[in-house]
Amino acid sequence: MKKLVYDIINKLDIPEVTYADVRFTNTDDQIIYFEKGRLRHFGSDYDSIDLGVRVLVNGCWGFAGTTILTNVSIENMIKKAISNAKVGSKFRKEPATFKKLKPIKDSYFFKPKEDPFLMDDKFKIDFHEKIAQKLVGSKKIVYSYVYTVLYRQYKVYANTEGTFVDSLVYDTMPMMYVLASEGKETMCRTWPGHMNGRRGGFEVVRNTKLEENADTIIEEAIKLLDAPRIEEERADIIIGGGHLALQLHESVGHATEADRIFGKEISYAGKTFIKPAMLGNFKYGSKIVNIYSDSKNEGGMGFHLVDDEGTPGATLDIVKNGVLVGQQTSQENAPLLGLEPSSNMMASFADDIPLIRMTNFCLAPGKGTLDELIKSTEHGYYIDFTKTWSIDDNRNNFQFTTEIGWKIENGELKYIVKEPTYYGITPEFWGACDAICGPEEWEFHGTFHCGKGEPGQSMHLSHGVAPARFKNIVCNVKA
Amino acid sequence: MEFRNELVKICEQYPKFKFNFHYRNWETDFLRFYQSQTNYNISKTSVSLSTTMYKGKKSYSFSLKNPTRAKLLEKIEEAKMIIDKLPEDPDFIDLEDDLTKTTEKEKVNNIEKVSLDKKIDILKKLANVVEPFDFKIYGTFICNYKTLYIINSNGVNKREINSPIFLEVKAVSNKNEVTVLETYGGENFNTFDVDRFTKDLVIKVEAATGEIVDVEPGEYEVVLAPRCIGEYFGYLESSMSAQSLDAKMSFFEDKLNKKVFPENITLTDDPEHPDLINFDYNHDGHIYKKLPIIEKGVFKNFMVDNYYGRKLKMKKNGAEGAGFVMETGNKTRDELISSIKRGLYISSLHYMNFINRKETSVTGLTRDGTFLIENGKLTKVVNNLRFTEKISDVINGIIDIENRSYTIPSSSNYGEFGIYSARMPHVKVKGFKISSSTRTV
Repeated sequence: MKKLVYDIINKLDIPEVTYADVRFTNTDDQIIYFEKGRLRHFGSDYDSIDLGVRVLVNGCWGFAGTTILTNVSIENMIKKAISNAKVGSKFRKEPATFKKLKPIKDSYFFKPKEDPFLMDDKFKIDFHEKIAQKLVGSKKIVYSYVYTVLYRQYKVYANTEGTFVDSLVYDTMPMMYVLASEGKETMCRTWPGHMNGRRGGFEVVRNTKLEENADTIIEEAIKLLDAPRIEEERADIIIGGGHLALQLHESVGHATEADRIFGKEISYAGKTFIKPAMLGNFKYGSKIVNIYSDSKNEGGMGFHLVDDEGTPGATLDIVKNGVLVGQQTSQENAPLLGLEPSSNMMASFADDIPLIRMTNFCLAPGKGTLDELIKSTEHGYYIDFTKTWSIDDNRNNFQFTTEIGWKIENGELKYIVKEPTYYGITPEFWGACDAICGPEEWEFHGTFHCGKGEPGQSMHLSHGVAPARFKNIVCNVKA
Repeated sequence: MEFRNELVKICEQYPKFKFNFHYRNWETDFLRFYQSQTNYNISKTSVSLSTTMYKGKKSYSFSLKNPTRAKLLEKIEEAKMIIDKLPEDPDFIDLEDDLTKTTEKEKVNNIEKVSLDKKIDILKKLANVVEPFDFKIYGTFICNYKTLYIINSNGVNKREINSPIFLEVKAVSNKNEVTVLETYGGENFNTFDVDRFTKDLVIKVEAATGEIVDVEPGEYEVVLAPRCIGEYFGYLESSMSAQSLDAKMSFFEDKLNKKVFPENITLTDDPEHPDLINFDYNHDGHIYKKLPIIEKGVFKNFMVDNYYGRKLKMKKNGAEGAGFVMETGNKTRDELISSIKRGLYISSLHYMNFINRKETSVTGLTRDGTFLIENGKLTKVVNNLRFTEKISDVINGIIDIENRSYTIPSSSNYGEFGIYSARMPHVKVKGFKISSSTRTV
């Protein structure tokens, strides 16, 4: 396929095209899904091939993609991308620009410890069936599932600046869920929670320790049925890594995507409360809050040699000592903010147009263990495992509910509470962060399902976080 | 057509197995615009085949892009090696066996009918009319064309074509980002009245030029725009399926034929409604016809597909919630607003999510134009607000319903970008719970 991509990019190296890139992806995935102890779905989608061309003509972007790799289809795709740009430019006042890039020629092949696509299917089925059977052991568990999504993608990227890169990555996403009920009320627990995607092969499934945690989530789901709710209007909360990853994702990650500043996502994903004048001076959080985008860390699903417009992988500060200092940008948007492109333009498949996306979006660690943080908390709650998430159009007002929380009294976890719900305003909330655990608690969490763009794309991305404490947070919201 | 016949032959060729095929040809032409100019244009084409192969109660699924007979046979041989190793699903009885068909309707390919040039002419006009108010337009103008063949070993051999159009225009103030929304959706572009669309957009823009204020959390009388009540019913749909009953997550469990909402609430699922994007079959290939869901407040039917119908011993009906129609009332929109001394007009909802699905508790936000009603008139723009509510409480709080309804398009966005629609009126709701302000518009 390298030759195909090479031939197409050569065809696009013509005067009327200011810039062009071509991507080819070949994606394999497999899903194993047990529901109520029974295999409900086992499916594979191998050699799923996509091809896409993006061109900048007359200051306007045009894109076309196809799954059909015949000569006629490819020629039509190229013509369509160019005509889309040309016709679109009739309704374009400010031409899009593209800064010259240094060409890069390179390859990256991730090697999983256990390649799930070379493993025996029977073994994988048996592995999950054993867990599925454990989940149906209690009468009070009225519904359960366990699944794993296995994924690998080979990509070839080329642009008219001379960059030519191919890569192969493996990602894996295991999850189990139980729903407890004694009649009317239902309470759920998951493991390892909704930020369950990781870079890697079947070793990710093993490291998740589904079987070892099955009894725990069953017990907790049943206990939640009789657990109290948080009664205080405000409380100090310690947020565990899995849920904090989502808090970071929604209230900082999406808010600092530069395309939102310019209104390019208003029609679907929304805007941002951030304005260009805030860069370099806006207090986003307390002094201990340091947030960065890092597409150079191979441990996360956001690693790449170059993004989908040829910008080399980069590490850059977004929030430094509590102050907003950076944005996730593209070649087109970065100059409008006086910034350098941040290597955040990514597409899910080759027939998707690249968008500004989080890659590995991280909260820098502080000091100490989670146990030490709990011990240093007089009154409060330790909460984790996302149940509900919601944030406004401008990424300013969020409200989250987790599946479970633990009351902290005098530095000890006392009892569990159901559906802890808290709400906040983004900069005030991050301004209330007074402790972040250290490197020993810091790890990558991630998702396959970050939705953005139209037509919609689901992105694989990671968040490196350690548990953190937030003071005096509103936590008495009830439906 | 040729490959459709191949799939029928393959069903006959492997009598020891059963097959369920979904063969799709899908294309989209997708214009996105911002700041009254083009953002980008996307054209995509895709041909794919999803297959589930059964041997007794064992099944294995696979997908192919650009399928050919040779590639499919190769995959089937691989599947034969795998399927024996799999555990059975004792709840699987059989594939869909209702062979009832609709007429295989041809539909105009709106990607060809509504060219990119035509779209841009319309958008230029809309950009020009909002410019004097210091607003710009943002949004999407999409046409899809999809042909889906559903074929199985029980003799189901059905075709469905969708050719939806979806225009979503947000007018955004350059001064303060106050946003309003106007949409069009359907399959017959002859029903698009650009002058009326323009007029409706301008009315909203004029209302959005007022002062911006905040309101305190609390209970309000509100008028919900049609897309809001459509969205609430859309979320409640997750409680209306047999699957949700099986998962013990249905609000309607033990409520069949019982009164769940006030008498003024009647909701049908009508995939053949002339003002909606139409569908012929559900995902099994079962014919999809009009079905009463709520009649005068009484819950009448779950939406039942083949698998869960057989598992729960319920009669399958093919309904999927892709054409909700709410019965209208007897008040005009102006009468609904004028009857409120102090309340809110809510244009659109955003990022709603369940806190507890069975209890229907949700949180979400207002978007694209929230207005203060004072003494029966829209007087000011209100910052976007968060609500934390039970959907059942919202519907139980409906005290008046508009005497006309509107087609509300929506998208599923992911995968093959499905476009759907509902037919909804404005409603007046008492005791709507606002839990906080976003402090932004």
